[in-house]
Amino acid sequence: MKILVPVKRVVDAYVKIRVKPDGSGLELANVKMSINPFDEIAIEEAVRLKEKGLATEVVVVSVGPAKSQEALRSAMAIGGDRGILVETAETDVIEPLAVAKILKAIADIEKPALVLMGKQAIDDDCNQTGQMLAALLGWPQGTFASKIAIDGGVIHVTREVDGGLETVKLKTPAIVTTDLRLNEPRYPTLPNIMKAKKKPLEIKTAADYGVNLAPRLKVLKTTEPPVRKAGIKVGSVAELVAKLKTDAGVL
Amino acid sequence: MNIAARNVAGRPIDYDAKGLVERAHKALRAADRILAVAKTGVAAKIAAVNGDVDAVQHSAHGLAWCATTVEGLRQMVSWAEGLNAQAKFNDFEQLILVAAFAEYLAQLAGGIAMNQGEVVRPEALGISKADIRAFEDTAEVQELIATGSSDAVKARLAQLIAEQPNATTFGNAGLDEIHGELVETMRKFALAEVIPFAHEWHLKNEYIPLEVIQKLADLGVFGLSLPEEFGGVGLGKESMCVVSEELSRGYIGVGSLGTRSEIAGELILANGTEEQKARYLPKIASGEMLPTAVFTEPNTGSDLASLKTRAVREGDVYKITGQKTWITHPVRADIMTVLVRTNPAEKGHRGLSMLLAEKPRGSDEKPFPAEGMTGGEIHVLGYRGMKEYDISFDNFPVPAANLLGGVEGQGFKQLMNTFEGARIQTAARAVGVAQCAMDLALKYAMERQQFGKAIYSFPRVANKVVMMAVEVMIARQLTYFSARQKDLGKRCDLEAGMAKLLGARVAWSNADNALQIHGGNGFALEYPISRVLCDARILNIFEGAAEIQAQVVARRLLEAGN
Repeated sequence: MKILVPVKRVVDAYVKIRVKPDGSGLELANVKMSINPFDEIAIEEAVRLKEKGLATEVVVVSVGPAKSQEALRSAMAIGGDRGILVETAETDVIEPLAVAKILKAIADIEKPALVLMGKQAIDDDCNQTGQMLAALLGWPQGTFASKIAIDGGVIHVTREVDGGLETVKLKTPAIVTTDLRLNEPRYPTLPNIMKAKKKPLEIKTAADYGVNLAPRLKVLKTTEPPVRKAGIKVGSVAELVAKLKTDAGVL
Repeated sequence: MNIAARNVAGRPIDYDAKGLVERAHKALRAADRILAVAKTGVAAKIAAVNGDVDAVQHSAHGLAWCATTVEGLRQMVSWAEGLNAQAKFNDFEQLILVAAFAEYLAQLAGGIAMNQGEVVRPEALGISKADIRAFEDTAEVQELIATGSSDAVKARLAQLIAEQPNATTFGNAGLDEIHGELVETMRKFALAEVIPFAHEWHLKNEYIPLEVIQKLADLGVFGLSLPEEFGGVGLGKESMCVVSEELSRGYIGVGSLGTRSEIAGELILANGTEEQKARYLPKIASGEMLPTAVFTEPNTGSDLASLKTRAVREGDVYKITGQKTWITHPVRADIMTVLVRTNPAEKGHRGLSMLLAEKPRGSDEKPFPAEGMTGGEIHVLGYRGMKEYDISFDNFPVPAANLLGGVEGQGFKQLMNTFEGARIQTAARAVGVAQCAMDLALKYAMERQQFGKAIYSFPRVANKVVMMAVEVMIARQLTYFSARQKDLGKRCDLEAGMAKLLGARVAWSNADNALQIHGGNGFALEYPISRVLCDARILNIFEGAAEIQAQVVARRLLEAGN
């Protein structure tokens, strides 16, 4: 069974992000970037499946600028076997649908039995690519997975849904998107970091797959969350109730 | 903000990155001239006392510090050039360079603190007032000192630091992709597995848990510089440096676990017989065997060549008898590299040999469950987590086949050859501790509110953090340079000694100032900075005390003859 794991290079989770002064987007110059944490969970799960003998090959793929190679190398340091970078320009805006179309084209060529991917990227929090890909391919999907069990050509996916856990049964080929509690990704070892440098990495473009990257959405503006304002002290219960009624308007 | 808002005459100038690097180059040339004068001056002082360096120690050691200061600047220029070539020499890095030059150039002219209480003045180095004036009047020196020590530069640096308080490094450290990745991996590991627990290990005087050691082993830390054929990763000293730095930033004890394997590994790799290499290296690399270095004795610290512990050969066995002290992590160690005197007729270093002595692991209750070996714990201020012991050997047996290299009398030489690597690693540990102190200072200063605002908004507080960042970068670049020289197969004992000397001073001053920022809370054991202060203190003592280190550097400078 071949597993395809798409990964995205995003602003590191520890970085304090800032909005550009003109509101056109985020300040990304010289900001530390990392592999999207949910994608890291996906690659870890894929590698575990391979280690259990349930998968034969783990192919990692990324759509993004040249530096996304770093994310692919990180994924290969965890255990991915080879990488495909669909290189875009630094300034390109890449939307989930475009990524889903590229992934569909790659899936048509690679023919994986499973596409295992993060449920969302922590930069734009779209949470769309997996679902769109499932629709484009016409494959079953199990999103927000907190547990995956493979039994022959059937995948049991435990999903984290509102109010509890739901287990779905998918026939391969399928799409599974990973949630936070699926696993704890390992630290890549020093030898594996070195080996990852030598693993094959193919560079492609969107045009190779006949996909048009032109965005369909328009970002009007980006703003920082409002700064929390200081509270006030009230003198009495009556004043509190009055303020809740008039100022806060919650009563 | 443009860093050079105005020059000393008040005329606005526009330094671009390239212009700044050129200015720094010229200032460095001026600093080199001062160093050349100092060498001549100190050489003359030594000649005047008939070559007795010890009689003019202050000047000789001052020369070592002068050279270290200049070398620090040289490596900063080289760092800046490297970044500039990749278009990565941005505001943050430019400001660090300017601030570094301002401080160190001013110290060259006015006095360098070997420590808080001992400042070496130009006069002690035989530098005349005229030389100093010429140095200070050099346009670039004057300009960089004026700009770099301005409130504007420090305020902007303080702002850049505060914008990314969780940064891996404050300013691009100039590492290539692979070393950058090693740093990130180790940082991630330390954040999750070390930093949340280190203070408790320290306060309870507990061992670093074996599970943590196992995880380090799984990552490949213990075999980092050993060749792949012996189960190692086959990486160089630069990798060893960045790994040690980042782990020590988490906890010096964790960063130091690798030191033991590094020293033992290097000793055996360079000197061992084929059987010794095959038997020990793979197990050291995998962490299956934890090594410990058994060199120091109660009466031989810096003067190692005079050590007394005897090993007497009886048939196929050496029997060790003597006292050793300051042995780090011996209870849980499986193999000791013991420096012993095999030839009592040779009083100096030629009578010394290195034995590879296996031992069973012990516990707090029964530390040394082996015949002929006893010991007691030395209670220490900091650098815990592995525990220090005094050890007595009484006819402790070691198979003769475990004489390192199979030839007697080579022990001292074998050990000396590992000192370059050990110095580099210790410098890297110092940089890590210095960075840890800065991390704690920054966090506290941004959180602690007084007079209605974060204390970080007070210049005396922020400036301390800024200078920590600047000096960490200088010590780091000097350390990386030594490691890269070593990786190129070039002699680097001088630079490694300087890196250790500077790194230890910076670690201590950073820890001290970080504690100051914590105020009374820093004095409370519950705050991690109290530990980091204690941990930082050892760096000026072990692997060559600051005074011996300065002595060694000075001797090398003077024997080079220029």
